[in-house]
Amino acid sequence: MWLPIRIDEQRPEPLYHQIEVQLRGLIFGGQLTEGTLLPSIRELAVSLKCSAITVRRVYQDLESEGLIRTRQGTGTFVARVDAIVKDEHRLERAAEELEQAIEAGIQLHCSIEELQTIFHEIMVRRKEETGKEELI
Amino acid sequence: MTMMDTEIAISLRGVKLQQDKFTLGPLHCNIPRGMITAIVGPNGSGKSTLFRTLLGLEQVREGEVDVLGTCLSGQHDEGYKTRIGFLAENPHAHENHFTADEKAHFASLWYPSWDWERYRKLMRHFDVDGSMKLSKLSKGMRRKAELSITMAHDPELLLLDEPSSGLDPFAWKTMLEELTRYMEPGDRTLILSTHIMEEIRRLADYILFIYRGRILGLFEKDRLIDDWRMLVIQQSSTMHSNVELLQQTPGLQGLAESGPGLYRLEVNDPEQGEAYCRSCGFQILAVQRMELEDILSCLIRKEEARR
Repeated sequence: MWLPIRIDEQRPEPLYHQIEVQLRGLIFGGQLTEGTLLPSIRELAVSLKCSAITVRRVYQDLESEGLIRTRQGTGTFVARVDAIVKDEHRLERAAEELEQAIEAGIQLHCSIEELQTIFHEIMVRRKEETGKEELI
Repeated sequence: MTMMDTEIAISLRGVKLQQDKFTLGPLHCNIPRGMITAIVGPNGSGKSTLFRTLLGLEQVREGEVDVLGTCLSGQHDEGYKTRIGFLAENPHAHENHFTADEKAHFASLWYPSWDWERYRKLMRHFDVDGSMKLSKLSKGMRRKAELSITMAHDPELLLLDEPSSGLDPFAWKTMLEELTRYMEPGDRTLILSTHIMEEIRRLADYILFIYRGRILGLFEKDRLIDDWRMLVIQQSSTMHSNVELLQQTPGLQGLAESGPGLYRLEVNDPEQGEAYCRSCGFQILAVQRMELEDILSCLIRKEEARR
């Protein structure tokens, strides 16, 4: 099967990390459901243009986290993931993304107050656009 | 990197051989089993000679060669060759009047694990007519026929000397599919020489880089891609020329001045390198990953400077 994983050559994170984060995201996000058969190590390596060593490392990491399991001779499958764990991951990911955005702001010499103002302005605009009260 | 013997397909220990004007070696390396290793290097760097050495076709002056657990020095069992599939760089003229099926027949007598069904599947997938004389086939067609014959006994070790030469893009894609399928069980080893970077990007786990008969390194491909970066840095107007300082950059592999006060650095320890340049007062304008060919060119330049 084909996985919507993309390696961004310009990002500094190592290849295995990029693949791992995205595959974990696909499992937590529910795009890959329990029991889904994942591509073999070699298949995924060829499709992502990375080495089998890298994919093996990703599969080993996710297996030790209990997200996937390998059955000898049949392949690698998505394991059962609790809803609570999925939700924790969702917030964790959002926090990471925000952190990165804040980091970019600091690189541009913004003060914390300035960033807070920008954050607030964006939220107000979003609220007006969507008309959804609960966003703020 | 340490590997257990069972994880090594080929071991070269101080291997050296001499031809008229060309010396290969001394070569030291362990090529891992279950992996795809691409042999890369400019023309005439010794890739084909290395293949012939692995098949016991070249006289080894010094050192030891182990292939699939058989040591090729002195008296040894030739049986290991039946567990290898080899595709030579050029077709053999003496086979011109055979059809692909006839050549396959000879091969079937030699390889105990020969599988006609596999042969026919490969020929079908490559879309080659086995009843045509090899000399009557186009270069690419003949390559596809020879590749099918080479792979039909599902060898433990597949040695392909520039397999894609002459293949059109569609046949090339078929070849990638077949090689991926071949590797699927996990215990097969593929070693191929190639000049095509896209082939290396798609297939290789390791890159064995050969230059002027010597090994410049056996690299894990993704380590090269992850570790190597090009930094573009600028010195501030108040600074003196600081090339000597830059020579001390951690992981420095290449350095060029690309404008007044503007430098391009190739490093294989980007974090340390970047931090060092900053601490010297340089401004980092860009940090980029490098293409494989640029990394390999850099290694050649470094080797040339060393010679």
